[in-house]
Amino acid sequence: MITTRLIRLGLIVGFAALVPAVFVLLAGQSLWRVLTTLVLYAFGPQGWSEVLVHAIPLTLIGLGVAFALRAGLFNIGGDGQFIAGTVVSVFFAPYFGGLGLVGLLAFLTCGFIGGAALGALVGYLRERFNASEIIVTIMFNYVAVQMVSYLIRGPMADPMPFWPRSYMIPPDCILPVLVPGTRLHAGLIVALAMVIVFAIIQHRTVFGFQSLVLGANPGAAIYAGFRVKALTVLVMAVSGGLGGLAGAVEVGGLYQRIVDNMGEGFGLAGIAVALIARLEPIAIPFAACLFGIFFAGGGALQRELALPFPLVWIVEATVIFAVAALHWALPDRKVAA
Amino acid sequence: MDLVLITGILAAGIRLGMPIALAAIGESVSERSGIFNIGIEGIMLSAAFVGAWGSAGTGSPWLGIVFAMVIGLLLAGFHALMVLVLGVNQFISGIGMVIFGLGFSSFAARLTIAAKPTSIPGLPAIDLGALSNIPFIGPILFGQSPLAFIALVLALAAGWVINRTAFGLEIRACGEGDEVARALAVPVNGRRTACILFGGLTAGLGGAYLSVVQVHAFVENMVAGRGFLAVACVMLGRRRPFIAFLSSLGFGIAEATQIRLQTIYPDLPYQFLVILPYLAAIVALVIGHRNVERSA
Amino acid sequence: MIPFLEARGLTKAYGQLRANDDVSFSILPGEIVGIVGENGAGKSTLVKMLGGAIEPDSGSIYISGERVTMRSPADATKAGISLVHQHFKLIDSLTVEENLVLGRPELRHGVLNFKALRSGFEGVGKDLGTSLQYDARVSTLSVGGRQQIELVRALFHEPRLLILDEPTAVLPPTERERLLCLIRRLKERGMAAILISHKLDDLYDCCDRAVVMRAGRVVGSSDLRSDDRGQLVRLIVGEELPPPEVRRGTRGAPLVSVRELVVRRDNGTVAVDRGSFDLHAGEIIGLCGVEGNGQTELMHALAGMRAIEAGEIVYALGKQTAVKCDAASLRQAGVAHIPEDRLHHAVVPSFTLTMNWFLRKLSERGLVSFGFLQRLSAAKATHEAIAINDVRASGPRARMSDLSGGNQQKFVIGRELGEGVSVILAGHPTRGLDIRTVAVIRNRLVAERARGVAILLLSADLSEVWDLADRVMVMARGKLRGPVPVGETSLAEIGHWMTTP
Repeated sequence: MITTRLIRLGLIVGFAALVPAVFVLLAGQSLWRVLTTLVLYAFGPQGWSEVLVHAIPLTLIGLGVAFALRAGLFNIGGDGQFIAGTVVSVFFAPYFGGLGLVGLLAFLTCGFIGGAALGALVGYLRERFNASEIIVTIMFNYVAVQMVSYLIRGPMADPMPFWPRSYMIPPDCILPVLVPGTRLHAGLIVALAMVIVFAIIQHRTVFGFQSLVLGANPGAAIYAGFRVKALTVLVMAVSGGLGGLAGAVEVGGLYQRIVDNMGEGFGLAGIAVALIARLEPIAIPFAACLFGIFFAGGGALQRELALPFPLVWIVEATVIFAVAALHWALPDRKVAA
Repeated sequence: MDLVLITGILAAGIRLGMPIALAAIGESVSERSGIFNIGIEGIMLSAAFVGAWGSAGTGSPWLGIVFAMVIGLLLAGFHALMVLVLGVNQFISGIGMVIFGLGFSSFAARLTIAAKPTSIPGLPAIDLGALSNIPFIGPILFGQSPLAFIALVLALAAGWVINRTAFGLEIRACGEGDEVARALAVPVNGRRTACILFGGLTAGLGGAYLSVVQVHAFVENMVAGRGFLAVACVMLGRRRPFIAFLSSLGFGIAEATQIRLQTIYPDLPYQFLVILPYLAAIVALVIGHRNVERSA
Repeated sequence: MIPFLEARGLTKAYGQLRANDDVSFSILPGEIVGIVGENGAGKSTLVKMLGGAIEPDSGSIYISGERVTMRSPADATKAGISLVHQHFKLIDSLTVEENLVLGRPELRHGVLNFKALRSGFEGVGKDLGTSLQYDARVSTLSVGGRQQIELVRALFHEPRLLILDEPTAVLPPTERERLLCLIRRLKERGMAAILISHKLDDLYDCCDRAVVMRAGRVVGSSDLRSDDRGQLVRLIVGEELPPPEVRRGTRGAPLVSVRELVVRRDNGTVAVDRGSFDLHAGEIIGLCGVEGNGQTELMHALAGMRAIEAGEIVYALGKQTAVKCDAASLRQAGVAHIPEDRLHHAVVPSFTLTMNWFLRKLSERGLVSFGFLQRLSAAKATHEAIAINDVRASGPRARMSDLSGGNQQKFVIGRELGEGVSVILAGHPTRGLDIRTVAVIRNRLVAERARGVAILLLSADLSEVWDLADRVMVMARGKLRGPVPVGETSLAEIGHWMTTP
C-alpha cells in the first residue's frame, strides 16, 4: 500500500522534473546553469523583490480562482477581469486626484468593481441561460484584450503617447514603493490583506460556507434553502472582483497607466497558483511566490541564457498536471474534484 | 450587398472556419463518450507549430500534417492518461494542456522556425476544373483545400459510426450512463480513450490546417481561441459531429464577415470587428440555451 | 432428478464482514425457489455470485451435476443462467432496442441492423406476452415497462435458470400480478427460477419453497404450502421485535393546506396535477404511489426545494401564515424535511459532522452571529446530538462519508427534529436501513405525532404506512387520491388507486 504510494509519488515528481529538463536540454542549455541562474537570481539582491512583484497579482487572482473553484465554478476569465479592473480604475482615477489615501482606496475599489461586474455577468449568463462559464469567460478574455487595445489608442489615450498607452493616473492613486531601489510596492500589503480576509470568509462566514456546500454537493445547497442562482452570481462577482483588483494594483504599483499586454497570462497562471495551494487561501501567497520565481526567473533566463521565456509556461503546465495528479498518490483530501 | 461579396465571404468563411471545424469533429466524439477536452486549444497550437516545422523541414506539407496529427495523438493520449487513469479533473487537465501548448509552441518556435526566415510550403488547392467555375457555388464548395474535403468526410463518417454501429452505441452508452455501461461489460475507459485520441487527431489536423494551409506560417498564439470556439460549437451542435462542423463554419463566416467589414468601414476601429466571432459565440450559447448540453 | 443448480458452501467476505457464510442450497429444473431475508442478509451477494459478477472466496457451484467456475456474467450466460437485476441497468436517454443490444454483449459488433435484431427480440417478446416499443426512449417508460426490457434481455438466450432480484419492489399490484403469472408460465416450460425478495407475499404467491437467509447464512427453509407465516417470519427476523408503539394521536388544526397545486419536473412534464389536501397537527399521513408518479416533486415543493407553477401551499405554523416559502425560511419556521435522497440532498458526504450540522441551522442564533459561524458552539451541539441519537461515529470531526447509512440517517433526523418543529416531511426515512434503525425511526415518528407534530410520510412500504399512518394518500400520474383514514380503506383499494389515475 505505502510502496505503491511512494512509487506514484516518485513518478509524479519525476515527471515534474523531467519535462522542463528535457526542454532545457533541447534548447542546448545545461541544466545546472539554468538552476543556478534561477536560484541566484530569485534569492539574490536583484531578484527577490521581482519575485514578490510578480507574486502580488498572482496572489489576488489565485484567491479569486480558488474561491470560485471551491464553489464548483471554473473562472478562467482572470485575464479579462484583470483588464476590466484596469479600465474601470483608470477611467475614474482622475476624479480621485488630491484625495490622498481615500483616493487610493477608491481607485482600488473601482478596480474590484470592474472585475466584479464582469464576473457577475458571467455568473448571470450561466444561471439564466445555462451558458458554460468556461467558454464565456474565455470569450470575454479575448473581447477584453481588443477593447482595451481600442481604449488606450482612443478615448483613454495618453495625450503624448510614445507607444500605445493610456493617460497616467494621478499621484494619489499610485501605490508607494516599499523598499527603495526595487519595484516592490504597497500592493503587497493589499494582497496579504486579501489573503487574510478570504481565509476568514471561506472558513468562518456563512457566505463562505454556502459556497463550499455549493461546490461539494449542489443538491444539499438546494435542500438547505440557499439561493443558488444568487449565490453563483455573487461568487463569480467576488472572484472577478479579485481579478479586477489585481489589475488596479498592477496599474497603481507598477505602470501607473494601462499598456498593451499588461496582464497577459495572469489568468491561467492564477489557476495554477490556486491548484498548487489546494484552494486554501493561506497557502496561496506561497504558491504565488513559487510562480513569482518562475516568472521573474524566466525573464532572467531569457536575458542571460537566451532561453525563451515560454519555458515558464511549460513549467506551469507541468506543475498543474503534477499537483492535480497528487491525489492519485496521496490519501484523500478535501479538494474540489 | 452584391453577389461577389457574399461569395467571397462564404468561401473565405469556410476556409477560416475549417480549423475550428476539424477540432470540433473530434471533440464532439470525445464529448459523446463523456469526456471534455478543453485543452484542444493547446493541442491545436502545438500541432500548428509542429505542422509548420515539419513541412518546412521536410519540404512536404503532407508530412507536416502527419507530424501534426502525431503530436495531437500524443497530447490527447496524455489527457486520457490524466483523466481516465489518474483521475484528474478533466477541466483542470484541459487547462494544463492549454498552457502547455502555449509554452511549447512559442518556446520551440523561437528556437527553430522563427529564429530564421523559413518558408512553409502550403497545400495546393484542388483544381476541379469546370466545377470550380460554377458561379457562386464553385468557389465556395470546390475551391477549398483537400483538407476541407477530408474534414467533411470525417464529419459525416463520425456521425455515421456513432449512430449506426455497435462501437458508436457503446460510445453513446459511455456518455449517457457510464455506470450502467460498465455494468454491461462495455469497456468504458477503452472507448473513451479511443474517442479522446480521435479528438486529438482532428485537433492536430485543425492546427496544421491553420499554419500549413491557411496562413503558411507559424505565429505565436495563432490559434487565438479557436480551440475554445470548437468546444462551444460542440455544445451548440449538441455533440453531433456534423452539426458541430456546420456551426464551426458559421463562426468562420462570422470571421470572414468581420474582416471584410474592416475594409468596407475603415473608420470603425478594427477591434470592434475582431471581437465579433467571440461575441457571437456567447450570444449563440445564450440563444441556444434550451438546446445546449452542458456538463459540470 | 439432478438439480439444475447446486451451491455448496459458498463464502464471500469483505474485510471483516462475511457477506455470505457457507451458503448451500439446490434447485431442480422447473422449480421456483424464493430466497428471502431482510436487508443485509446477504441475498445480493449470493445473486452476484450466481450471476457471475463476483467469484466466491470458497465453495463451489454445480450446474447439472458438473462443477463450473463463472468469472463473468458471460460465463453465467453460457451456463444457462440469466439475471434480472433489482436496479435496472438501463440508460434512460437511449431507446429500448439500443438498451436491449447493450445488454447482450454478443450482439454488440459491427454495423447495427436493428431490423434484424428486432425480429430476434420479437420472438422473446411474444413468449412473454409483451410488446415492446423498440424506438421509444426508456425515459418515457413506466417501471413495469423498464422491467420488461430487462426480462427480454434475460430471456433472449433461453436460459434454464432465471434469477430475479427483488422484482416486485417497485411494481404496482397489477404489474406484479402479471410478472408472477409470467414466471409461472416459464416454469411450465421447465425453466427454473430463483426469486429474491423480502416480501412474504411474493413467496406465497409464486414459489414452491423458500430458503431463508440471515446475516450471511442460510438459517432454514420452508415448504411454503405447509408452514405457517409466523414461523417463517421468525426465521427471517431472528427474534421478536418489540411491537411498534402505535398510539394514535388526537388530530389538531390543519398546519399545512395545499390547494390546486401544480408542480412541474425539470423536463417540463407535470408531476403534481392540481393536488389538494390538509395536513393536521398530531397526525401522520402516509403518501404512497409507484415511484415516479410525482411524490418526490410534491415533497420537494412542500419543503421549498422546488418552485410551484400554480396553486398554493399555506403553512399555518402559529406565528405567521406563509404562503410561498423557501427551504431555509421553512426550516426556521419549524418545517423539518428528511429528504429521500440522503447523499445528494441531506448531507455533504465530504464534510465533517459539525459542518453538516450547520447545513440547516444557519439561522440559529447560537450558531451564527453577524454572518460568522460559531464553530465551537456547533461542535458542542453536534457532540450532544451524536450521543442522544445513538450515532456511531468517532466525534463531531468525523467525516460524514465514513458513517454507515443508518448512522447518517440518525444524524439527519437528530438535526432535523427537535424543539420548535411542528411539521415533518419524511421521504422514505427507513429505506435501505437495518431493522434496528428502522424501528428507532418509526418510534421517533410516532413519538413526534404524540407531541402534536404533523407528519407527511412518503413510503414505498405499504405495511409501514399501514402501521404508522392515520390517513393515506395515493399519487398516480400526478393526481392525488385521498387522504382517507386507514380504517376506511384496504390494501387492495390502495393498490388499485396506485395504478389508476
